[in-house]
Amino acid sequence: MSLDFQQVREQVSRLGEQAPGRERRLKALRQQARDLLQIHAGELESLRQKVQAVVRSHDPSLRCAIPTLERLNACSPLPVMPRRATLFAADGSQIYLDRHAAAEYFLINIGAIRMEYGDEQPPAVTVQSDLYYGDDLHISGAYPSEEKISLLRDLRERQRLADLAEQNTRPAIALTDGSLELWGASLEQEPDSLEVFLESLARLEVAGASVAGYVDKPGEDYVVRLLEIAALPVENAKERPLRGVRDIDLFREILGPGERSAVFEVQTRSAGIYRRRSASFAPHFFYLNVGRQGHPWLARVDILAWVASDRHRLDDLHTVLVHQCRMLGTRPYPYVLHRAHEIARVTADEKGQVELMITNELRRHGVPVEESHKQYHKNLPGKGRYSQ
Amino acid sequence: MRSIQIGRLLRANTGGFVAGCRVANFEADAPSLGALVRAPLGGDMQLYGLIYDIHIDDDGLVRQLVTAEGVDEAAIADNRQNRTVPVEMSVLAVGYQQDGQIYHLLPPRPALSLDVVTLCDDDELRRFTSSGRFGYFRHVLRNRELPAGEILAAHIRQAQHAHAARGNPTWAAAASQELITLLRDDYSTLMSVLSALSDTMMDF
Repeated sequence: MSLDFQQVREQVSRLGEQAPGRERRLKALRQQARDLLQIHAGELESLRQKVQAVVRSHDPSLRCAIPTLERLNACSPLPVMPRRATLFAADGSQIYLDRHAAAEYFLINIGAIRMEYGDEQPPAVTVQSDLYYGDDLHISGAYPSEEKISLLRDLRERQRLADLAEQNTRPAIALTDGSLELWGASLEQEPDSLEVFLESLARLEVAGASVAGYVDKPGEDYVVRLLEIAALPVENAKERPLRGVRDIDLFREILGPGERSAVFEVQTRSAGIYRRRSASFAPHFFYLNVGRQGHPWLARVDILAWVASDRHRLDDLHTVLVHQCRMLGTRPYPYVLHRAHEIARVTADEKGQVELMITNELRRHGVPVEESHKQYHKNLPGKGRYSQ
Repeated sequence: MRSIQIGRLLRANTGGFVAGCRVANFEADAPSLGALVRAPLGGDMQLYGLIYDIHIDDDGLVRQLVTAEGVDEAAIADNRQNRTVPVEMSVLAVGYQQDGQIYHLLPPRPALSLDVVTLCDDDELRRFTSSGRFGYFRHVLRNRELPAGEILAAHIRQAQHAHAARGNPTWAAAASQELITLLRDDYSTLMSVLSALSDTMMDF
């Protein structure tokens, strides 16, 4: 039985009917948020204290921005490009474990690229492919879930960046796609992963690398949440009068092409874990308009305290990111991140080749291999489906 | 002139083959339309062919890069050195060599995947083109899909240069005469070929 388009159509129709009303409501909220940004722009210290008070007495799991040294509505223009700069980017992809397939394994593939500004040499690319099979499959005594494999991939990305930074003789910018914090992991439940991650960060800091996570089309509302706290009494801070407004709705109107917002510190439960390990690991972020005149496009850039507190590092990161995004023309996104993704990506064809190699090798050694009957039937011709 | 390896065979049949190389290699030793190339057929056999098409495919990233205000030098170098976008050269089989003898016939079998494709040097070009009576022209003229005039004009210009360097200035005139004979019943193709030949600015 395939998708019932009649049912979907009715739901899409309702979605369309509700959209204009929702948009009108959000438009009013966005304007309200922008007004609050202007009103509270200079209240840095009092807002810091208010956030601490809310966390202490009302909402320990509060997720919001904390002001640093710049006004909330500050716009920093594009700095001058450094004469020399080294940029690393790493990205990972994976083949998840499929217990129904003939061979039980998973694979992590990390692509990395190094680009030197002020050097004629073409960028250098590397790829690291690691196959996990046999006893390696039993992470923490059980078959690894897709989330666990993704976590391992993220750790390998950071370790690869640390390796590259340590081999480099000059301070570099080390870039990954997405948030700097570990994806999808409950850090308290993953102490070993957290240790590996923090060790990678420490190696990057010692190597002098400016670590950054580039978040395209960010949906967070950290600054909006800060404005809600600014407007509400501490005891009512759990209320969400601006729900639905995102940070980029605020900054899209303020930031010109190439400009960045103020740097904010992150207030989340997990940010506290990093901060407690080392003050220099405290997560920070800023928004960056990588678009063109009349076509703003905002990204969030995650950094750590050791970058946030160093104006030169911040300026170099700011200008190099804008340059990287402009390399891709009308769809701004850092060139090196796209290339790292391209290098790392495992295609369906390659997955098939790996499986064939493994099953052939096992059969050669007399080890029986057999896919599940469920998989066999899913593979029957004429069963082309969007998802399995 | 030395023999230059220009790529490796991607796919083939007895009528021809397609060879690929990286863009970076292509820049250094670029073969040209109409050039004579060879590929091994096993033993001492060699397959000869004329390049009739050279093409470079685009992809999503290249299409996106051209929308930037100025394509960054690093991106150009990265695309040419690191990315797997091959230059593909289509080659028409025009003969083969066996036991030291050159035949202007289709080869007995195609070359194999990943066989090295080499650009023929002037000595090989002279040897192949002076063997027999221009029998290989019919392979070009037979294929109606090919721009026969352009391919033959480019080939004759290169071959004439090689022959003239060894004191034979009349090879191109003889080749043109043979084309006129072969195309005497096909006026439109003859005009097309002669027009292309006249644009080579050679003095026959």
